Amino acid sequence: MPPPSRRTFLQLTGLSAASVAIGVTAPASADATPPRPIPDGAFALGVASGDPRPDGFVLWTRLAPTPLATDGHGGIPTHPVPVQYEVAEGSGFKQVVRRGLAIATPELAHAVHPEVRGLRPGREYFYRFRVGTQLSPIGRTKTLPATGDRFTFATASCQAWYHGYFPAHRDIARRTPDAVFFLGDYIYEYGIVAGDNLWRQGVTVGPEHTVEIETLEQYRLRYSLFKTDPDLQAAHAAAPWFLVWDDHEVQNNYGADNSLYGIPPELFVHRRAVAYRAFYENLPVALDSLPQGPDGQLYRRYDVGSLARVLLLDTRQYRDPLPVNEADRVSEQRTIMGHEQESWLYDGLRHSSAPWNIVAGGVVLTAITDDRTEQWDGYPANRRRVLEAMGQAGTAVMLTGDIHRHVASELKLDFADPTSRTVGVELVCSSVGSNGDGTDTDQYAKDWLQHPYVKLYNARRGYVHTTLTRSELTAEFVTFPYIHADANAEPRVVATFRSPVRDPRLEAL
Amino acid sequence: MNRPPAITGLGGAGSIGTVTLDWKPVSWATVVDHYAVYADGTLIGKTVYPHFVHRGLGFTGVTRSYRVVTVDAAGNRSQPSSAAAVTNQTSVTVSGVAVATVGTFDGKGSELALSPKGYADYPARFPSDVDYTFGTSNPSTDWSYLLPGPADKWAGSKNHRATFRFGLAAVPEQDLDLALWLIDSHASLAASAVLTVNGTEVGRLTFANGATKGSTIADSTYPGSPLKPSYLERPLPKTLFRPGENVLELFKDQGSWIAYDALGLFARR
Repeated sequence: MPPPSRRTFLQLTGLSAASVAIGVTAPASADATPPRPIPDGAFALGVASGDPRPDGFVLWTRLAPTPLATDGHGGIPTHPVPVQYEVAEGSGFKQVVRRGLAIATPELAHAVHPEVRGLRPGREYFYRFRVGTQLSPIGRTKTLPATGDRFTFATASCQAWYHGYFPAHRDIARRTPDAVFFLGDYIYEYGIVAGDNLWRQGVTVGPEHTVEIETLEQYRLRYSLFKTDPDLQAAHAAAPWFLVWDDHEVQNNYGADNSLYGIPPELFVHRRAVAYRAFYENLPVALDSLPQGPDGQLYRRYDVGSLARVLLLDTRQYRDPLPVNEADRVSEQRTIMGHEQESWLYDGLRHSSAPWNIVAGGVVLTAITDDRTEQWDGYPANRRRVLEAMGQAGTAVMLTGDIHRHVASELKLDFADPTSRTVGVELVCSSVGSNGDGTDTDQYAKDWLQHPYVKLYNARRGYVHTTLTRSELTAEFVTFPYIHADANAEPRVVATFRSPVRDPRLEAL
Repeated sequence: MNRPPAITGLGGAGSIGTVTLDWKPVSWATVVDHYAVYADGTLIGKTVYPHFVHRGLGFTGVTRSYRVVTVDAAGNRSQPSSAAAVTNQTSVTVSGVAVATVGTFDGKGSELALSPKGYADYPARFPSDVDYTFGTSNPSTDWSYLLPGPADKWAGSKNHRATFRFGLAAVPEQDLDLALWLIDSHASLAASAVLTVNGTEVGRLTFANGATKGSTIADSTYPGSPLKPSYLERPLPKTLFRPGENVLELFKDQGSWIAYDALGLFARR
């Protein structure tokens, strides 16, 4: 059973339609003219779309004429501001098919998340916002297909802004895929310090960025800082995104309400609450993902016509703590997903009739070494249950990031048994920014390449571009020779793999 | 503008150099941006937690009046909470008379052996751990700036002991006080050590987690220093002591290293 939607929850708890509508729509009586003029440059953080469906998508922008205002409010006066949007079939906006109004409020840092419905499936659309006399940049997006014979997507993760530029996003934008999967670590919480971790050349940051973030204003400011990158904005404006989170959206290696840094759980939940809030405010995710207190609903499901089912996981919020010993690590009860999300995933896989099941999560599923307990190697029983469920459905395509390396592997029903069936493939995308320039290989390569089911390891920055058809998958692993100096590095395809839809395996092309 | 609610239940406890405040957070119905914490009307910090540590208060007790303002997601501010008056503790290094010390109580470890980053030489320089005699030994060669623990691979992944010897003319008339100041400690594994005086196990000293920077940086006092100093002081009954040589031992059988500022015994005035 899918979890109850946030809307249902809000209705059950008696919150008014008006409060639900904040930032998504506006009352019919609302005036489209701001009560006071908005400073120029209101769209400095760009535009975005996400969570696409066959009939629509979520649009996003956040008004911030002074994006780096230290109070996190982006230089907007603290009153509600009406934001108009329009959706058209062409970039010239001659055929506007939807118009609407959403109210940007200071409660959500003047972000809006209008949910557009009633569109045609499998079609490209263009959108833009207007506030007062200011027009936003134009975004391009696409609805999911009704049937679907071909689906292209990029996967990206781990964009430590301070470690370098984002040529990966520039290239993703150029290719205008049908969707982008972002697999976590959209921001990092660390202080950004010149001479230490600030490797992006030619930039400086103020003292407010040099400390680890903790309050909502600091999380908001960190999103703003990362989002000032023009290539990141371009990738958002080029395609609808499916986002999941990993640890750095809150704090390094946290799990559930446990901080790795000794912050007691009863305190840490307050940090998680503001971190989840800032995630929602700054990204094109549907209202269902608006957190309630310290809890956020991020695992969710989409269907790419009858071609693929998409299952987006949350492998942070419900995970068991790091294992205390080997018996704990291999315990049958142990879960990285939480039991409710596990049931939801297995139902979603078993009831899928699609030839492909795309499962997107924050951390690597493939078995590598028993001491990598931050990823699924710390949760082998949960992994076995997932692989069994994958084995009962169409071919699995696991999408993950986290490790700042490109890795391609075959998903074995039992990784300990090389003769066991391959139930799908895992495409691990390297980082967009984290770890800086990088090298093709490094000291960890042997841990990964020791396994016959691991077919690629590369330690440069980049992204993965995948094409699904009814007969096969093609995955291109793209890297960039450098990112410290500037954003101009040219892409290089380091590996391309093909997998047939049935009998999955990675064939190097 | 709707003011968010003010917090309730503000209370505090003074320690050396710090005051720790706790309060009851507002309910989840209010989306909190942060709590702004004021001492005597001046903003001293912001936190998302219902908890704040006011640091850098020096070593002489001063009473301050604390209040907390709730700032919500829209930037609205609550009325200030009710006030709590809290006094930081006066250190025995201020109130007492030094009997025997090693290092200077100044926020720096630079006068100690191997400082600021010679930890890798510890096994070669102190193969039998530290054994220091007050009045004879030299801090810059004989008292290691770090006391390693069993979690430190660089120190052999074993327990370590620091022995401090000092003379007393007679059994003291009042209890003595131990001051053990750290410039920093491991961020999650500071753990504890067993304290022994003249063969009597006095108890376990539990250290505050630091920033894991004091193994390479000696000064916790410059603006922006990443170190997290901490201060441990406790009374030692006079009956533990004897005329002539006395021996105080720290036995680090848990966790990782601590980085000394100074250690000393103080008599009461």
